[in-house]
Order: sequence, then C-alpha cells, then structure tokens
Amino acid sequence: MIADFATSIGARMLTVARATGSYGLLFSSVIREFPKRPFYFKLTVEQIYHIGIKSIGIVFVTAFSTGMVMALQFGLGLEKFGGKLYVPKIVSLSIVREIAPVFCSLMLAARVGAGIASELGSMTVTQQIDAIRALGTSPIKRVVIPRILACLIAVPLLAAIGNFIGIAGALIVGVSELGLDPMFFVQKVLTTVVITDFVTGCLKTFFFAFFISVTSCYFGLNVKGGTQGVGNATRAAVVTSSIMILIGDFFLTKAFFLMFEK
Amino acid sequence: MTAPMTNNSEIVAEFKDFRKSFGSKEVHKGVSFQLKKGECLGLLGGSGQGKSVILRSLIGLEKPDSGQVLIEGQDIVPMNEEQLIEIRKKVAYVFQNGALFDSMSVYENLAYPLRAHTNMQEDEIRQRIRELLAEFGLSGNEQVSPAALSGGMQKRVGLARSIIMQPKIVLYDEPTAGLDPYNTIRIQEMILRLKAKGVSAIFVTHDMPSAFAVCDRIALLFEGRIQAVGTREQLEQQPDSKLTRFVRGLEV
Ligand SMILES: Nc1ncnc2c1ncn2[C@@H]1O[C@H](COP(=O)(O)OP(=O)(O)OP(=O)(O)O)[C@@H](O)[C@H]1O
Ligand SMILES: [Mg+2]
Repeated sequence: MIADFATSIGARMLTVARATGSYGLLFSSVIREFPKRPFYFKLTVEQIYHIGIKSIGIVFVTAFSTGMVMALQFGLGLEKFGGKLYVPKIVSLSIVREIAPVFCSLMLAARVGAGIASELGSMTVTQQIDAIRALGTSPIKRVVIPRILACLIAVPLLAAIGNFIGIAGALIVGVSELGLDPMFFVQKVLTTVVITDFVTGCLKTFFFAFFISVTSCYFGLNVKGGTQGVGNATRAAVVTSSIMILIGDFFLTKAFFLMFEK
Repeated sequence: MTAPMTNNSEIVAEFKDFRKSFGSKEVHKGVSFQLKKGECLGLLGGSGQGKSVILRSLIGLEKPDSGQVLIEGQDIVPMNEEQLIEIRKKVAYVFQNGALFDSMSVYENLAYPLRAHTNMQEDEIRQRIRELLAEFGLSGNEQVSPAALSGGMQKRVGLARSIIMQPKIVLYDEPTAGLDPYNTIRIQEMILRLKAKGVSAIFVTHDMPSAFAVCDRIALLFEGRIQAVGTREQLEQQPDSKLTRFVRGLEV
C-alpha cells in the first residue's frame, strides 16, 4: 500500500523530471536556431495577427470590466470612511502594476495558449510536423519561433492597451457611480502613476508571453495518442502557463521591487 | 515481370543490425538489408511489424536503440537535425496518409520544398507544379485546400510533394493503399518512370500485385528481422517459401 503510493509518486516525479528535461531541450533548440537563417518574417507577421490583433476584443473586455469593478468596490468600501477621493490613486496603481498585466496575460494564456497547443497538437498527430522535418526544414524555425516572437511582441502591447482600457473603465464608474469629477480623476491618475509602474507592469508581460508561448508549443509538439492527446495537451498548456504566470508574478514583482525601488 | 537488375550494384542505403524498442516491446531485433542503386526493393510484412519505422529511420525521423543506418555510406544515426537536412533533400519519404499542410493550398504544399531549397522563380515553380499535377491527374486543384480533397487525392498530392525535389531515393509507405484500380496503376507507372530515371526506392505495401509489378527484389520483415530477401522467383522457389505463405495469408 505505502510502497504502491511511493512508487506512484516516484513515477510521477520521473515524468515531471523528464518533461522538464525536454522542455529545456525545446528551449535550447529555440535559442540555437533563433539567429540562423532562414528567417520566416511573413509567418511571424501572420502569427502577430492571429495572436495579437484577434485578441484585442478579449483584452478589452477583461481590462474594462475589472477596471469598473475595482472602482466600484474601492469606491463603495472607502466611501464609509470618506476616502472616496483616493479611488483614482489606488485603482490606477493596482491596474497598472498588477491587474492589467496579470489578468490580460491569464486570458491570453487561455486564448492563445489553447490555440497554439491544439494547432501544433493536431499537426503532430497528423504527421505535419514530421513532414516539415522530412522535407528538410525545421519545425522550430517555421512553427515555434514565429509563435514565440509573435507572443513576445503582442502580449506586452496588449497589456499596455489593457492599462488604458482598465483606467477608462474605472473612470467611467468613478464619474457615474461615485460622482467624482472626471478632470480630478484624470489628474490624480497622471500624478500617481509613474513611468516605472508602467514599465515594470509591461516588463512582466514579456516573461508571461514567454511562459505562454514556449509552454503551449512544448505541449503541442509532444502530443501522444491521437485526438484525445490533443485535448489533454491543450488543457495542460493552459493550466501550466497560467500557473507559471501566477507564480512567476510573485517573483518578478519581488525582483523588480529590489531593482527599481531601493 | 521483374525488371532485370542493373549490374551496377552500388549500395545507396543500408541497415546494419538495426534494433529498436517502444517501451518494453522490442519491435526490431536486428534488421539488416541493403538497397542497391536504381532498384526498387519491396518491403513486406504484417501490420505493426515496423515497416514505417524502418522508412522513418532512413531519413532520421526515428533513431534506433543500436545499429547503423547508412545513406550513401554515411551513418545518419549520430547526425543532428541540421546535418540531416542534406540527407532529407536526397531521400524522400512518402507518408502513409499524405501528411499535407492543411493551412496551405495544394499549390503552396507543392511549392513548399522548392521555396525552402531552391532559388526558383515563381513562374518556374508554377510551371513545375502544373506539370506534376497533370502527371498525377490532379490538374485544376491548385487552389483547393487539402481538407477538401478525397483521401486518395491527398495521397497523390503527398506523393507529388515528396518527389518534386527529384530525390535520389524515394521511400513509399503504402502509396497505393486506399486507391481505386485506375489510380493504383497510375502510381505503379509513376514509380516505374522514376525507376527508369535511376531513382532507387523502397516500397512498403500490402498490395501484392503492385509489389510484383514494380519491385526488383522483395524483403520480408517478420518478428523483428528480415526473414528472406531476393527476387520474386528466388523467394517463390525456396522450399516452404515464406513469400508464398505470406501472400496466401498463412503464418510466416
Ligand atoms: N511512436 C511510437 N510509440 C510507440 N510505439 C510505436 C511508435 N511508433 C511505432 N510504434 C510501434 O512499433 C510497431 C511498428 O509500427 P509501424 O508503424 O512501423 O508498423 P507498420 O509495419 O508500418 O504497420 P502498418 O502496415 O500497419 O503500417 C507497432 O507495433 C507500433 O505499436
Ligand atoms: Mg506503416
């Protein structure tokens, strides 16, 4: 009984170790092949369109509604203590530093991560990845690198847009529900949020973009067992990259804190 | 029936004591054979005996646990993906199911290897693709998406894509399975035409008439080893011929 349990834990740890190893292998071949010709510029642009432009809607909804909810929650909470006037300050800081980068990245992990993992997964089970290799070309260069680059470009931009949309949502609620003066609101935001807040928020999303793209490519390329495997890989890609974002956020916040605000 | 063998018996590909297991299942227990220049070698064996793995190993898509895979005298087993590119330009693998890129049209699928490995101009590419599609009875399907083609048509496009770079060795993985008699004959003719041009080939199939029509020699793969290899006549004349047993559906 206990021996069974121990064996199964051992087997599990072995699987995780092996997966970490091949994740590292994927990562190192990306680094190795990145500077080599040919460069698939057009494929990268295509991916920026699929990953970036097509995600604007979801980022808009996410940022706008969280901005509105935060303004409402803080407004109603602080009103009892007469602290309504602090709403622009608190809400804009939390949006720019944490909420917009993390929430937008989590939504993109779901949308983009699932898209990449299932697409690459289907290509793996239908032997299209093998065909790319068999025809003397590299799936890393043609498939993986364009997706990673597109994520590295699109995710930070989307998160930056999310900052503005989130604050706009908060502004609307602040004015309509809390009766704040719009000029006062904007002025408070501008005097509170400094450039390092904005930059550290966006810098985080570079790492998140990396987590999302590499993880979902990894799970997509390593699908085993047909169509069912594609489903499993997609789920694993979304869950793993979301967890990496949440855990990574803590350490990145800590690191940026040490770097920028001594 | 069996075309005369070229006297020139230069060896273009060779398997030496190839062993491979998947999990605890030992599929190849020391496979050895040689492919001579310009010949078509039939590789027969029951389903799951490891024929596709053998073909995949010849272009480095799979690595053996031990043994050597030689292409023109070079062992490709220790090669990395970058070194394998040169091998893959010379050796074409025709996938069992076509393996077409479904995000691209038929035209783009066929242009893919040309764009990757040549500096051909777009009108040369177009010309080449038009000829090839005509040869395979697929004219007019340039802009169609692979998903909109029948299985047999996908297979033929896959075959066309594999040979568009004019490889020296072609590995056919059941190219006639699932084709109607008319197209089966067309594929046989195509294989014979390539052979006449000096292309060497390994032909994996369960379709005996096609095997006998195009192959110079036949190798029988069973239980992880090549059990017999030779011309059809040689194999049939053996006492208790394994080939005859295989063709009749008896245990080999
Ligand atoms: N990636 C893999 N993972 C696990 N087992 C595999 C893998 N590839 C092949 N095998 C096993 O190796 C054996 C040989 O497979 P292979 O596809 O080469 O057979 P085959 O001779 O081509 O059969 P068929 O005539 O049906 O195409 C099978 O039993 C299969 O289960
Ligand atoms: Mg097979």
